[in-house]
Amino acid sequence: MNEGQPFRLFTKPKLENSALVVAWNQDAGRVGPRVVDYLNTKLESREFAEIDPEGFFSLGGVSVEGDIAQFPESKFYWCQAKSLVIFKSDIPRYGWYEFLGLVLDIVEKYCKVKEIYTVGGMVSPSAHTTPRMLLSVANSAEMKMMLSHHDLISDMDYETQDGQRPTFSSFLLWAAKRRNIAGTSLWMPVPFYLLAVQDPWACKKVMEFFNRHLELDIDFTDMDEEVTRQNREIAQVRRQFPEIDGYISKLESNLGLTVDESEKLVKEIEALLRRRH
Amino acid sequence: MGFRLYKEPKLNNPVLIACWPGIGNIGVIAVDILRRMMAAEELGEIESWDFFYPRRVLIRDGELKDLEFPNNKFYFKRTETKDLLFFIGEEQPSDGTRVYAEGTNAYRMANLVLDVALKFGCQRVYTSGAAVAPIHHTAMSRVWVVPNKEDLIAEVKSYENTVLMSDIEGRDGQGSITGLNGLLLGVAKKRGLEAICVMGEIPIYIHGFPIPYPKGSKAVLEVLSAVLGIEVPMDEINALVQQSEDEIESVYEKLPSEIKEQLDKLKYVTYAKPSEPEPITEEDKKRILQEIDRLFKKEPGRD
Repeated sequence: MNEGQPFRLFTKPKLENSALVVAWNQDAGRVGPRVVDYLNTKLESREFAEIDPEGFFSLGGVSVEGDIAQFPESKFYWCQAKSLVIFKSDIPRYGWYEFLGLVLDIVEKYCKVKEIYTVGGMVSPSAHTTPRMLLSVANSAEMKMMLSHHDLISDMDYETQDGQRPTFSSFLLWAAKRRNIAGTSLWMPVPFYLLAVQDPWACKKVMEFFNRHLELDIDFTDMDEEVTRQNREIAQVRRQFPEIDGYISKLESNLGLTVDESEKLVKEIEALLRRRH
Repeated sequence: MGFRLYKEPKLNNPVLIACWPGIGNIGVIAVDILRRMMAAEELGEIESWDFFYPRRVLIRDGELKDLEFPNNKFYFKRTETKDLLFFIGEEQPSDGTRVYAEGTNAYRMANLVLDVALKFGCQRVYTSGAAVAPIHHTAMSRVWVVPNKEDLIAEVKSYENTVLMSDIEGRDGQGSITGLNGLLLGVAKKRGLEAICVMGEIPIYIHGFPIPYPKGSKAVLEVLSAVLGIEVPMDEINALVQQSEDEIESVYEKLPSEIKEQLDKLKYVTYAKPSEPEPITEEDKKRILQEIDRLFKKEPGRD
């Protein structure tokens, strides 16, 4: 760790007026992490900094997921050619405002970031075949105006309900606003029965937005193949298992499923798709 | 990280009454009623975002308008006899897994509260909370008092309806006060301020449930109003006590008779000086708590 600093800086990026894309590892359908992983790969971004977990995460041991010991990570990447910064992180357990302040300090100081975009998935009760649109929440009227030419749902009204709490992305947007940094949260609906597997179509929709808005010139051929493959696999499952087909058909007809039906759909789709990979 | 004052009134040696939520919300209910009855004015706040996760977001027409955090507000009131400062926190700054604050954040918040108090010349602090006691809910709550200096003992002994830790059998003057209502006493001591924590009793079989216990709050309110020389109308707290008693009684009536018999023993017990019949045993206590837990968790309309 750099002496006296709660982060490590590996290199000083050379960026001006850059955009920051943020994803949290704790995300519905892992849309955010998959999008930034894809962007990092395609753009050959390089890691330049990392926030030390001390003071933000419980370090009383490690969690194990998928047989692998996990450790909280909060990493920054940069792509000079596209003037893009990517931050991928676990959501801290405490010291939230201090953590967000640190993120903003780093991207302002070393990357001259002017716009922030957070990416996340949201659970949808709809079928995977139902047309879905990207939702946006801006932290200023100017930012909303700036994105108005994109095909986004940008007129959402929402208040946190009892028993729920705001997303960490909202906290970041609020903190950015306090520093006059424009920001937008992007939310992609993910059908509830694809949360545990993956939803490449959802990821692709988000990446298409960035491709247009940030002029990234990414070729999505591989992603298109992945979307086609998954659609084909789900179609096969529907043909083989009429019960599953019935559930998805009900969703396609805007009919709700019972709790038992929903649970069965989730379980069967997860098992069947995993078996094919 | 800090506080924001809306105004800076001249106050004469004010007394600070500070409180955060805790068991039965005993302290917060008492202090908040006192504040409202005194018509204390808002003075300032601690910048909550440094300590808390937001609890509400407001989005309108696709634009994030506001985030709402738990309030941590200061109030003041000038009176003919004493000037008062109030601090009421809506939550303790915990790590999300505990109700009570501890560690760095708790220490920072305690110091911020005292920074404001000292800025206005305060030298005396009261905090308030709950004392879990082997009492029956039909009994009057007493108030446990803990000062942070030896030379305050004589003073707190003169308060009506109070007990010191040393008055309680088996404690030998020992104990602990969890969370910020206790920590503030220690930080005040470190910074040279007199501080006294007043804790209203709550029955041992009720303290684990997320319900207020206004009877304990009433006892605290009576002590604080007497100590501060303030007449406080008791109508509101009396109504809360009555409502709470009715609710507790309705649950109590549903307890199996053997459990009720055990709990009824508490009506005859003064734990500072046990009398016949003998108090409930640890084993009894465990069984009683399990039974009450079951009753509180039971869904309406189900056996």
